[in-house]
Amino acid sequence: MQIAEPLLRAIEELSKLPGIGRKTAQRLALHVLKSKDEDVSKLVNSLLELKTKLHYCSKCFNLAEGDLCEICMNTKRDQKLICIVEEASDVIAIEKTNEYNGIYHVIGGTLSPLSGIGPEDLKIKELLKRFENETIEEVILALNADTEGEATSLYLARLVKPLVTRVTRIARGLPIGGDLEFADEATIGRAMLSRNLL
Amino acid sequence: MILSSLNLKNFRSHKDTNLKFSDKLNFIIGGNGQGKTTVLESIYYLCTTKSNCSKSDLEVVSFNETGFELNGIFNDLTESKIRIYYSALENKKYYYRDSKLISRSADIIGKFPIVILTPSDHSITQGAPSERRKFIDSIISQASENYLRTIIDYGRTLRQRSSLLFQIKDNRNKNIFSELDAWTEKLVESGLIIINYRKNFAADFIKFIVASYKIIMGETEVPTLRYSFLENYGGSDFKVEFFRLLDLKRNEELRRSTNLVGPHRDEILFEINNMSLKTYGSQGQHKTFQVVLRFAEFFYLKEVMGVVPLFLLDDIFGELDTKRSLKISEYLRELGQTFITMTDLTNLSFMKKNDNDKYITLNSGAVAYG
Repeated sequence: MQIAEPLLRAIEELSKLPGIGRKTAQRLALHVLKSKDEDVSKLVNSLLELKTKLHYCSKCFNLAEGDLCEICMNTKRDQKLICIVEEASDVIAIEKTNEYNGIYHVIGGTLSPLSGIGPEDLKIKELLKRFENETIEEVILALNADTEGEATSLYLARLVKPLVTRVTRIARGLPIGGDLEFADEATIGRAMLSRNLL
Repeated sequence: MILSSLNLKNFRSHKDTNLKFSDKLNFIIGGNGQGKTTVLESIYYLCTTKSNCSKSDLEVVSFNETGFELNGIFNDLTESKIRIYYSALENKKYYYRDSKLISRSADIIGKFPIVILTPSDHSITQGAPSERRKFIDSIISQASENYLRTIIDYGRTLRQRSSLLFQIKDNRNKNIFSELDAWTEKLVESGLIIINYRKNFAADFIKFIVASYKIIMGETEVPTLRYSFLENYGGSDFKVEFFRLLDLKRNEELRRSTNLVGPHRDEILFEINNMSLKTYGSQGQHKTFQVVLRFAEFFYLKEVMGVVPLFLLDDIFGELDTKRSLKISEYLRELGQTFITMTDLTNLSFMKKNDNDKYITLNSGAVAYG
């Protein structure tokens, strides 16, 4: 089988992306080939701009166009409430809810001795520094509910407890709008354990 | 749950074998090496996605073949078709339930409850403590998905924590102690869930052991099961004790880079008339106890899950005397669908026949009924 080299190269590059296998990569590459020149330029430029115009916020390490991200610059947000998440994608997830009006801190991963990731590899020093300069009253830990996420939450809780009045961890339980019967047993079990008093 | 038919393709010695089963007792008869035990293994595969004896799927594939396939039809309220296809080339296993691909094995475990008694069960009463933990873990996991997940989470925590202990020993990082504290807390959090589950399970399960023991052995002896955790702790504040032991062993943990406290070091002790089975039991007592444990597992799962598990018995009458064999064969009538392998029927001369039973003879790939 012989494939033109430019096409092969495009397929190779596209299949490096997460969630893209070789077949999908080939489909995407052929689609780009068929597209109008201006559409392809738009795609290429948007990808380049992503890399050149976006940085990490110097305060919370969320994605930012300038030195600070939109959220850190917004004075209407509650500066006493800080939510700690693993990745910038988690900020997007929480922002979509429109339920949270505090600020964030993205630590950039979780502790994992097996992969050699310790506190110094995460933005934890930067987090502690924020407590010196800002008046923070509550820390919300919103890390993933897996083994490493929970251990990291416990680690952070130990660190920040002496610095603030309240440290909380987001609840684990049933998805809203989801039928109880469709939730998996472990989730229902956890929701039972962390039930609320009415 | 009833397995009504089964097809094995390129599964060990079975090139293409079709079997039909009774919903009561199924005797699978054949000489050595005719693939009796393999039939049980394939049923275990259908119910759990895994083999009960070999670690790799590749081992199960017939020589010179590129994969195996199993098809089973289960009848409960409705019919479920289960198909497992393993490709040796991709080293990948596909599990279909009614033509729908199931990707997480956690979605299967516990859905088709199964109990299997094999000669390798000797390790449960005679082997290392880890064998007994594995035994009770597999029962509790079938009944509780939350327990299964906690076991997986706890195992991961152990690996992370021992890696950290190793790093500290290696002196690669001296400011790591607060990190160790966090992993210790995580260890205790998951560990306590496991201890509580096991404690409740042990208290429940003993009733089933006593009941089965009485039927098989008569009333002369009293079996007990003792769950020993946190260095045989007898108090009521597990959390405080857990942390106290961790504190006590901290230096040793650091020196050896190993997790020394927690449910991964629990022991389950079986006793007969307050004498340790492991230390003082005769071969016959061990064998009987292993049979009792599997019967107890069957009746426990039946009660907790409200579904009658399949029961597989591999070469059960081999080491037992006629009296016990007779008791057990009568007891078999109280089970649901059961599969029993044996080399020849003379072993069963004492057993009363029943029209619902099926006698399946395997001989060089040919199947005969009757």
